[in-house]
Amino acid sequence: MSHHFLDVAGLCFAYPDGTEALNGVSFRLEHGESVGLVGANGAGKSTMLLALAGLVLPSGGTVNVGGTILARNTVGEIRKRMGFVFQDPEDQLFMPTVFDDVAFGPLNQGLSVPEVSSRVRESLEGVGAAHLSERPTYRLSGGEKRAVAIATVLSMLPDILVMDEPSSGLDPKGRRLLIQLLKKFTHTRLVATHDLDLVMEACSRTIVLHEGKVAADGASREIFENAALLERCHLEPPLCMQGKC
Amino acid sequence: MHMADALLSPAVGGTMWAVAAGLTAYSAKKLKDSPDESRVPLMGVLGAFIFAAQMINFSIPVTGSSGHIGGGMILAILLGPYAAFLVLVSVLTVQALFFADGGLLALGCNIFNMGFFPCFIAYPFIYLKIAGQNPTRKKILLAATLSAVVGLQLGAFSVVLETMASGISELPFKTFVLLMQPIHLAIGFIEGLITTAVVTFVWQARPEVLEASSRKTGLRGIPMKKVLTGLALAAVVTGGVFSWFASSYPDGLEWSMARTSGSEELEAPEGGIHATLSALQEKSAFLPDYGFRKAPANEYEAAAGEHAHWPAVDPGTSLSGLVGGSLTLILAGMAGMLIRRLSSGRN
Amino acid sequence: MGRVEPSLFSSTSDPGIDQANRPDPRAFWVVTFAFVLTVTSFGKYEISRLTPLFFYPVTIGTLYGVSARALLRKAFFALPFVLLVGLFNPLLDRQVLLEIGGYSLSGGWVSFFSITMRSMLAVTSAILLAMTTPFDRLCLGLEKMRVPRVLVTQLQFLHRYMFLLRGEALRMVRAHDLRAQGNKPRIALSTAGSMIGLLLLRALDRATRVHRAMLVRGFDGEVRVLHPLRFSWSRDGGFALGWILYFVLVRLVNLPEWLFGWVVGR
Repeated sequence: MSHHFLDVAGLCFAYPDGTEALNGVSFRLEHGESVGLVGANGAGKSTMLLALAGLVLPSGGTVNVGGTILARNTVGEIRKRMGFVFQDPEDQLFMPTVFDDVAFGPLNQGLSVPEVSSRVRESLEGVGAAHLSERPTYRLSGGEKRAVAIATVLSMLPDILVMDEPSSGLDPKGRRLLIQLLKKFTHTRLVATHDLDLVMEACSRTIVLHEGKVAADGASREIFENAALLERCHLEPPLCMQGKC
Repeated sequence: MHMADALLSPAVGGTMWAVAAGLTAYSAKKLKDSPDESRVPLMGVLGAFIFAAQMINFSIPVTGSSGHIGGGMILAILLGPYAAFLVLVSVLTVQALFFADGGLLALGCNIFNMGFFPCFIAYPFIYLKIAGQNPTRKKILLAATLSAVVGLQLGAFSVVLETMASGISELPFKTFVLLMQPIHLAIGFIEGLITTAVVTFVWQARPEVLEASSRKTGLRGIPMKKVLTGLALAAVVTGGVFSWFASSYPDGLEWSMARTSGSEELEAPEGGIHATLSALQEKSAFLPDYGFRKAPANEYEAAAGEHAHWPAVDPGTSLSGLVGGSLTLILAGMAGMLIRRLSSGRN
Repeated sequence: MGRVEPSLFSSTSDPGIDQANRPDPRAFWVVTFAFVLTVTSFGKYEISRLTPLFFYPVTIGTLYGVSARALLRKAFFALPFVLLVGLFNPLLDRQVLLEIGGYSLSGGWVSFFSITMRSMLAVTSAILLAMTTPFDRLCLGLEKMRVPRVLVTQLQFLHRYMFLLRGEALRMVRAHDLRAQGNKPRIALSTAGSMIGLLLLRALDRATRVHRAMLVRGFDGEVRVLHPLRFSWSRDGGFALGWILYFVLVRLVNLPEWLFGWVVGR
């Protein structure tokens, strides 16, 4: 039995001002699945991810990661299993050099120095950024920043990868490389994005959020062929399905 | 205004370094005692914010010139004295390294002048007293302006004292004070106004930010007595040690003290501390001062004594200095060219 | 406080340059301090005796490929305050100090030149330190020299986000200028208040996001770094000791006079 599953049941969250961001969200990701999380602005995607990471405390519902239920005392364990890649790599890359940044997680896990070094090397190789190791993080191109941001998470050997808008701010080539990278991973993946073409290519399954609820959950192609559903959730079919490419 | 290396003596610079190091260690310890991991990125980003905010040059009413924010008070208001002080230390260090502001020896002075006063004097004793509880727009205006003015006045006065104690500048105490204080009164008012504008903006847009920070600082009276005693002790000890070793002229602390203590004449006081000091100095100096040693006759010695701090005028020394100095500079330039040729030949 | 001069920021040493052959940052910090102390230890009427100290910036600058123009440009930024204070010396100190071929120079002018020279020397050495050693290595060096960890982390974060936030500020000013009237738009004090306030709110948001990114990677309040610094006694110890000995020599022996005597054949 694999421990690489993510099970969310009846998740609710309301901001202090009363706005209900999540209103009973439920879904389950199985080992190795690659799932897109889509929805219009304000549909609750970002809040969803913050709740998964235990960065906001949900007012109801459970998050179960490989058999561990998210709670105050299990936050550390959950975060060890789930790797989060945030939308802005500038927020993710806070250490002076690429090496330091990729080593940040493993060092916090208390690993030995040689182990940390080998983890850093392997993760950077995994995203094709081994040559950037000694560079200061502020001197990277957009694509390089994204790749390194992913490596900072890979170095912690997570079971599940959670990404927020991974293709934002990337040029076409950078985006292409990212899609190839996403396809290559064998982790369980959850990708929150507006880039529906990326979802079509890299995710077999799609969850549509609308007004804090799951509006649809199924095979990506089926969902994007459902024009009425997309319209209702303020979405449009991916360009490749509009016959534009 | 940043204090500069060029106007400092090692004794004063070293003393202020010790004071700044003491304050830094104390603040670091205080932060360690009340751990809050969200403070690490907050302090860092706010330090960067200071540099960014200084990019925004605004026009100063009436004068037609333009200025930018200093930011010390904003940091203190958002972070509390200890964290704000450390952020200012980091900002001033980066300014010394990248902006040529002041220099490394003067860093100690600058940390004291621009960090200590806003964080440990103006903030707890003025800002918090006025606008600590139930802030209103008026209270913030009064508190921010008053604390900015007082902080800058103290800082400017401290620059004057440090310059006087170093004795490199000829500016008389009175003139320097009259020069520095009014300028910094104006700067203080502007700083107060812009601080008020920023704080009220934040207070209206996101009141929880200010509330959270005032709760977080956990400032229940700084043990000022302890801090000041420690500082005074550090200052006296290091000051003593530095002036003992660093000067082969009587141009350090004791010179300026003799000078500013009222005697307009340049005569060295007979006997007393000064005589003891110079006697000590003659014994302890690495080399007897070359100007004095060259003087052959006793009356020359006496003449030199009359000027107390003037080194002897010796045309011979002047010429050799001028020519020798120029030769040295030429040699230094040639050394540079040689190194460049050698290293480019290697590549 | 700091002036707006974007070019000053282009200084951090090129990451492409191999740092292995450069002295350990600790050695560099120590030498720089020794240098500044030596410069400031001379009396205020010393000019010629300061000249041997120029060997240091010239050597370091050329060895590590720092352009003299960039260096001087930055050093000049430090001059205004120093000159302002220093200019009073010629006015107030009229005692004749130097006589050469019938021309006399007052002590005030001599000390004025001395102050200018001190400023150039001291400031150049600090800038050289920053231009030849990457900032993270300077910080590592500081940590190894027992500077409190909080401050070192603070310096690292400050440096990391300095460029980013300055970019934000710059874009904000540009957006203001494009919509403002006149050829040389000025920002009114009240406008500046809300601009800076907005910048501050963005900075606070940024801090929250960074904090989150740190938390999910197991941050517990302590920033850990591996320390790749290796102090080699032959390279770094030699570097530090060599220069310090030179500074001591400069302090104890009047080299220019000695040089003069040697040339004149006395």
